[in-house]
Amino acid sequence: MKRKIIHPAPSERAVNGPQYWRSLGELADSPGFRSHLEREFPEGASGIDGVDRRQFLKIMAASFALGGVGLAGCRRPESHILPFGKSVEGYVPGMPLYYATAMPLRKTGLPLLAETHEGRPTKLEGNPVYAPNGGSSSLLAQASLLDLYDPDRATAHTRNGSVLDSAAIAEVLTGIGRTYAGGRGAGLAFLAEESSSPTRFRLVQGLRRKLPQAVWSEYEPVSDEPAAEAARAAFGRSAKPVYRFARAKRIVSIDADFLHAEAGSLTHARDFAAGRRVTNKDDSMNRLYVAESAFTLTGSMADHRWRLASGHMLAFAGALALRITGDESYGALARQLDVKEGWIEECAADLMANKGECLVLAGSHLPAAVHSIAYAINAALGNIGSTVDLVEVPESRAVPISDLAARIKAGSVRTLVILGGNPAYNAPADLGWAALQRSVAEVVRFGSHVDETSALAGTHVAAAHYLESWGDARTLDGTILPIQPMILPLFGGLTEIEVIARIAGETVSDPRTLVYSTITAIAGGNPEASFRRFLHDGLLADSAYPKVSGDFDGSGLGRLVAQAPAPAILGRDSLEVRFVADHKVDDGRFANNGWLQECPDPITKIAWDNAILVSPKLGKALGIASKGSVLQVARDETNQFEKGREMAHVGEVTLGGRKLRGPLHIQPGLSDYTIVLPLGHGRMVSGRVGQGVGFSAYAIRSSSAPHFAAGATLAVTGERVVLADLQEHWSMEGRDIVREANVDEYHEKPDFVKEVGMEAETPSTIGEEGEQMTPAQRASEIPRGNSLYQTPKFDGVHQWGMSIDLNTCIGCNACVVACQAENNIPIVGKDQAARGRVMHWIRLDRYYSDGRLDGAAFGGDGNREIPEDPQVSLQPVACMQCELAPCEMVCPVNATVHDDEGLNVMAYNRCVGTRYCANNCPYKVRRFNFFDWNERRLDSLYMGPLGAQGMPELVKMAKNPEVTIRMRGVMEKCTYCVQRVENGKIRWKVKASQDGHPGEVAVPDGTIKTACQQVCPAEAIVFGNILDPNSAVSQAKARSQDYSLLGYLNTRPRTTYLARLRNPNPRMPDYQALPLSRRERNTKTHPGVAAQNGGTA
Amino acid sequence: MSDHGEQAFAGPAILQEVNPAVLPRPALVANNRDFAWITNKICGIVEGGTPAWWWWCFGVACFIASFTVAGIIYVVSTGVGVWGHRTPINWSWPIVDFVFWIGIGHAGTLISAILCLLRQKWRTSINRSAEAMTIFAVVCAGIFPVFHVGRVWYAWFLFPIPTYNGIWPQFRSPLEWDVFAVSTYGMVSVMFWYVGMIPDLATLRDRFGAAGRVIRARIYGFFAMGWRGSARAWSNYEMAYLILAGIATPLVLSVHTIVSFDFAVSLIPGWHTTIFPPYFVAGAIFSGFGMVLTLMLPLRALYKLEDLITQYHIDCICKITLATGTMVGYAYAMEFFIAWYGANPYEGFTFINRAFGPYAWAYWIMITCNVITPQLFWFKAVRRNTTFVWVLSIFVNVGMWFERFVIICTSLARDFLPSSWGYLSPTVVDIFTFFGTFGVFSVLFLLFIRFLPLMAMAEIKAVTPQADPHSGGSHSHG
Repeated sequence: MKRKIIHPAPSERAVNGPQYWRSLGELADSPGFRSHLEREFPEGASGIDGVDRRQFLKIMAASFALGGVGLAGCRRPESHILPFGKSVEGYVPGMPLYYATAMPLRKTGLPLLAETHEGRPTKLEGNPVYAPNGGSSSLLAQASLLDLYDPDRATAHTRNGSVLDSAAIAEVLTGIGRTYAGGRGAGLAFLAEESSSPTRFRLVQGLRRKLPQAVWSEYEPVSDEPAAEAARAAFGRSAKPVYRFARAKRIVSIDADFLHAEAGSLTHARDFAAGRRVTNKDDSMNRLYVAESAFTLTGSMADHRWRLASGHMLAFAGALALRITGDESYGALARQLDVKEGWIEECAADLMANKGECLVLAGSHLPAAVHSIAYAINAALGNIGSTVDLVEVPESRAVPISDLAARIKAGSVRTLVILGGNPAYNAPADLGWAALQRSVAEVVRFGSHVDETSALAGTHVAAAHYLESWGDARTLDGTILPIQPMILPLFGGLTEIEVIARIAGETVSDPRTLVYSTITAIAGGNPEASFRRFLHDGLLADSAYPKVSGDFDGSGLGRLVAQAPAPAILGRDSLEVRFVADHKVDDGRFANNGWLQECPDPITKIAWDNAILVSPKLGKALGIASKGSVLQVARDETNQFEKGREMAHVGEVTLGGRKLRGPLHIQPGLSDYTIVLPLGHGRMVSGRVGQGVGFSAYAIRSSSAPHFAAGATLAVTGERVVLADLQEHWSMEGRDIVREANVDEYHEKPDFVKEVGMEAETPSTIGEEGEQMTPAQRASEIPRGNSLYQTPKFDGVHQWGMSIDLNTCIGCNACVVACQAENNIPIVGKDQAARGRVMHWIRLDRYYSDGRLDGAAFGGDGNREIPEDPQVSLQPVACMQCELAPCEMVCPVNATVHDDEGLNVMAYNRCVGTRYCANNCPYKVRRFNFFDWNERRLDSLYMGPLGAQGMPELVKMAKNPEVTIRMRGVMEKCTYCVQRVENGKIRWKVKASQDGHPGEVAVPDGTIKTACQQVCPAEAIVFGNILDPNSAVSQAKARSQDYSLLGYLNTRPRTTYLARLRNPNPRMPDYQALPLSRRERNTKTHPGVAAQNGGTA
Repeated sequence: MSDHGEQAFAGPAILQEVNPAVLPRPALVANNRDFAWITNKICGIVEGGTPAWWWWCFGVACFIASFTVAGIIYVVSTGVGVWGHRTPINWSWPIVDFVFWIGIGHAGTLISAILCLLRQKWRTSINRSAEAMTIFAVVCAGIFPVFHVGRVWYAWFLFPIPTYNGIWPQFRSPLEWDVFAVSTYGMVSVMFWYVGMIPDLATLRDRFGAAGRVIRARIYGFFAMGWRGSARAWSNYEMAYLILAGIATPLVLSVHTIVSFDFAVSLIPGWHTTIFPPYFVAGAIFSGFGMVLTLMLPLRALYKLEDLITQYHIDCICKITLATGTMVGYAYAMEFFIAWYGANPYEGFTFINRAFGPYAWAYWIMITCNVITPQLFWFKAVRRNTTFVWVLSIFVNVGMWFERFVIICTSLARDFLPSSWGYLSPTVVDIFTFFGTFGVFSVLFLLFIRFLPLMAMAEIKAVTPQADPHSGGSHSHG
């Protein structure tokens, strides 16, 4: 599938032979010439809104010119970025090329392969060479592509409002270094983001040597790795834990969202899924205990979940440690915990029964003391070295932002260089950053967007996107990854290492050379060869952080515990506030990304906004929970929904004298008196997408309690606002949609799934004859069952099918955005999203069940309220590619038809948009272009022909050229990535005929991957040929948990699901003998068997 | 028994002679009006000056019709997003409006064709205007399915036109059947209406000719197709009319049956049900007669047609309304019964949801208007109070609009997967486009009453008492 091009090494002649040039200026490559190149096309072309086609060509032309002569101090390999005005060797026009690169985020990097079409990166995939991630990638990585083509990016370097060309800005940066060189850096300060880059590490070291008086500060509003001081206290060295979830049979998460928010979540998800996956009845399954205050994806996977305030996690950890270590010194902590009878005891017993094969971890936002206790527990259980590896990490000597603020206040900073980040927006509120920044004489801001911080800075240096940059990064375990550019910077942006190198006065400031020197020094051997290998593989082999032995030392623990805040008594008038990174826009850095903004939060299902999340109990106390009705169908099932839209009450939170206002959303599963505030919204200076979306929770966040704080109050104002909540109804209504069982039941009755569906009570849809067939026969012959209709012919070489494992799906939404990137799916904006018109081809359905749903239509306890402590069931739903598709038979114009390989395909050109197909689709996966989303501005959709028309040129570049852009009035839906299927078939056909076996056109299993499958970290989605009994998809479908969603309708979907299993501990006080959704099903649709429910509610 | 019987009845138990009570047949034309009076009355409407109220009504109707025109221009230029549709309710007001108007279009042909075949002579005074109503309702109905599609400029894909790309429409789709059903119905209705009008057009031609109004005479003459009223012409005419009635009769049943297939053939709970064809046809006739009353009663009052549209006519229409309304009520009950009896939880939920869910208000409006309202027609006093009958007929129209709304929207709003459930709110464009079609309808109907004979003069003359040689008897017409 992948085609990796290893560029031929430049020939001796090319490097040392005669060089050709077009002018003397070009030969000299003087700054003057380079700025001339930039000005070749009309003035201001690089300063206007977005880029136009001409400018894009110009960039290409410039790269041609530069590529031909090489840059000063740089050798020929610069020609890796080749202009498409000139044929590239080995390149077949129309065929994508893949390059290894990486996406840096805080202290980790994500290994990626970038797919480029004609020099434009159009899609990112995980790099499968990095085994721990297995080729998966994340939601943020998928969407980061769109940031490259963001028309609102900083398009020029500016100084006091005037545009500087690249030569001038280089001079400004070098000038800073020169100015402060005399004073050894006194008066100069840097504020940077965290980074894993070895090159930056090296350059910062160099900077410190040259300018020892300069202040180097780092700030991240959100932390995703445990505090370093905890490891130092526990093990006496600068280390961090690397968890091995695949080896853990029992996992206790103390407020840690390790499947999503913590660093390394892809590896975690993949390993966790491996321990969760049950392929036959003898397989065991891991068990997850979660104590958490917010409702996270990790919590949604929990077998036992305790809603506990974050401030009480220390006590929780202490209680657990007391049970496990027996060390009475934890007694004081343990006594602070509100006891849940038997919970800690049984949980601890379960851990102790699995010594060395269990894992306890704490959330990065928790105080060091909690981490330290977690280390103590892991040490006592013998997990260190087994499920927890400790690796030595280089020590960061950066000072915190509060120290920097103090120095600015003291007036000792004359020049402040802000590298990335956005402190004016996200610095702790008590620092008063905006005023501080204004008080500094000279502020140089390096950033990709002109944002809140840039607005207060005299000089703005446009940053290159990572897909335009040379750089490096390290994964969680320390493996070094290359960041290589796919395209020359669209707006002439610089990279961070270049900026540092220039200020530090390094002789070399070309980023590629900087990275080259770092890597070749680490790798050793032949530098050219090892660097090329590094770029080719996308990682530097054996470069992980060294493992260190961890001998736990409890002596520092007491000090840490004493530092940690004592658990506060929480109540209606003293609430705990929990600040979390938003699921989609993170800490705000992705706020101008439309794909992310429109991607619904996996738990709340709110797109385009954040909300103050309150528990149902608190919601009731606030009077915003609508009263339950006695009628089952009209009960409070909709969370402030009115006429199909969530009309949220606006609340005002007061914390430490600071206030903020935001919409309230009742979120089941929260700790009763914890309110959750997602960060990252409410940007005041952003682009056309992110501007003014949501509210900023940074407004009440102080540096003393950045992650959670007690003592807040919440009042409801009279105001109400619309939230684009994409799922109105939370209950599965006792239906057989997500089928679940406890693993014990599964062991006894592996085919339980057949008994809990409607099809168990209806005649067989495939008839007696069909029941005897193999799955492959069934797919190609389509048994008629009792149908009168002649069924379609499926006589293709392949019969495509998909299997989705609900047991391992963690609901991270990566598939949603991967599909959006692959298939050119437009965004529709908040207004249209709230009207129920989002276009996602794959969605994640989220259901809550609390087991109290009654069979009766009227009255009954369970018919009334939104649950406080539900179980969550998540289900990805895309087009099922039904063999007997209900959509096809109702389309009057033959626009949706079946192909011979079982794909339900759309002929967009034929579609007239009757929408009958969407009505008749029981899965509701068809999406309609109500407006010309691609051609019209989202704020003037209703203006019709009077509104502005046309897609920005820059946005066009992000489109996948293999997929049609759909116009208005056309229905669209998932096609199993038909473009990938056809590409795979063509390539295999060509290969087969080249190999002399032209008849062997069946594509081997695993060659073709759909976008959603490829991105999935949990490997929950499997796609392939179901005619091949050995294919992964056939194997998955052969498993006894396999079922068809709404199978009784005889639609015969090609996508089937593997039932979800839960693994509760029968000795736990909150043990449920049946998953709650099954209890609901039994009571609602089978009141007769409700007696079998057993267990406690 | 025998003992008692012998003692109680001495004589034979059977009457000597059967003497049935004489049931007077009401006269279809009251007050002994003669032929000339009828001709003058009906032609007079066309020949006389245009009354001021007509101009007022016409102006208002044109204004209202402009809403539809503006709505359509907006939809076509901007996108169907300007309507309230959303996932999962991909059909809403436009299709509700379509079915509503098509339903109204049922009464005309039913009156003309079926009652003609059944020799219900009371049809004669109302059939012409009811047919006109049918045609105009079909015109209004036709607007919606055409313009509700996403790309109306490709709507011709629905017609089986042999083009170079060789793609035919999909004949399995009920929407495709709709295209044929509705267009056939429209065409046959127009033909039937026109053929029935030929003798009367000839009368107008002659009268305009005699009055010296040549242009008018020419126009009516053109459409009268040289009608001279000869016995041979009458004979052919009667046969042609009968044949057309025969053709039109199955269409009355087929159109709404096929419209109901749009829903019945799908698999959505609440749509997927075999009761739909008869239920839809009954509903259509119900709404059609409701509309006949709504139009006819004001017309009768305006043009003083009480002698031609008698109380007997109103009674007949009310009784048909009562019968079909009761059928519709039965269908509502039967849907619930089957939902329960079928034991399918998805199906069961749909119906409970209809009656008690978020759209319960619409459901109870429907029940009130369609089931309870017509029951009042059991009472003679109600039928005799024309104002009250007219108000009730409005209720029927409202109820039948809501019936389609309930069927279409509530079923779609909450189907199989609760994750996708939604709620439909119409936009002003939905509302105004629909409202405007009443203007379109009124414009057409006003033009009709102004320029065409609104009653079949020739046929009415045939049912007057004078036309019967045994006039004065009481048992001739049936």
